[in-house]
Amino acid sequence: MAKLNKDSLKTLSYITYFIILFVFWFILSGYLKSLLLFFGLVSVLFVFWMSYRAKALEEDSLPLKIILRLPFYWIWLFKEIFKSGITTTALIWNGKYSPQLISVKASQKNRTGIANYANAITLTPGTVTIEVDKKTFLVHALSKKLSEDLQTDDMNKVITDLDK
Amino acid sequence: MSHNYIELISLVLLAIGCFFILSGSLGLIKLPDVFSRIHAAGLIDTLGSGFIVLALIVYSGFSLLSLKLLLIPLFLIFTSPVTGHAIALFAHESGYKPKGKNKK
Repeated sequence: MAKLNKDSLKTLSYITYFIILFVFWFILSGYLKSLLLFFGLVSVLFVFWMSYRAKALEEDSLPLKIILRLPFYWIWLFKEIFKSGITTTALIWNGKYSPQLISVKASQKNRTGIANYANAITLTPGTVTIEVDKKTFLVHALSKKLSEDLQTDDMNKVITDLDK
Repeated sequence: MSHNYIELISLVLLAIGCFFILSGSLGLIKLPDVFSRIHAAGLIDTLGSGFIVLALIVYSGFSLLSLKLLLIPLFLIFTSPVTGHAIALFAHESGYKPKGKNKK
């Protein structure tokens, strides 16, 4: 992947985007008749043209490298959500919460990675990203344990590795 | 016979999802300030809806329908943090201070 030059990488990302759009259309409709498939192709082409015009197909917004790793990342993320969800549920029921603000450093290189990390923090129950500076987040955590979990930096490492 | 097992599994998953939604709603009332309440709402968004969709997938069997059902949590993964972050940021910018220690 690293040897491809910029143009072929761009073409590859266009093709991937097109395939993803068409698969998405097929999942939502489920039709197999050729006429309807043709209509699907037309609508997919229309959406493709729209996103091309909106310059949504730059390399930063469609990172090809991480697409294959995404399913594993989602499974890992679900595990994290489950763990901290149990902790948060216990905190709600027994009332031993002690909310606190902490700042967390992010080591991702590009904007997608940083947005991804901030989203992952908010998605795990018990921690919410309030403010994003360039490389530091202001995070509100529901208890000391949850904030310490975040400060072990595991999540940061996983999301940084996603983009390697 | 196996049909019964499937119903039982989806029933258990539904119960777990309902439990998380109940806890989230309780937290929404019980927790002290805006920032903490967002955590409770996040609990409903992720685990509550996640388990209920999982139960529906188990119940309906694997087909095109379950792929459609899988798209719901996929969209929630992207949208729910954005709403949570928007509320938190707005509360922060308009000067709300998070409450500190839990009163014992």
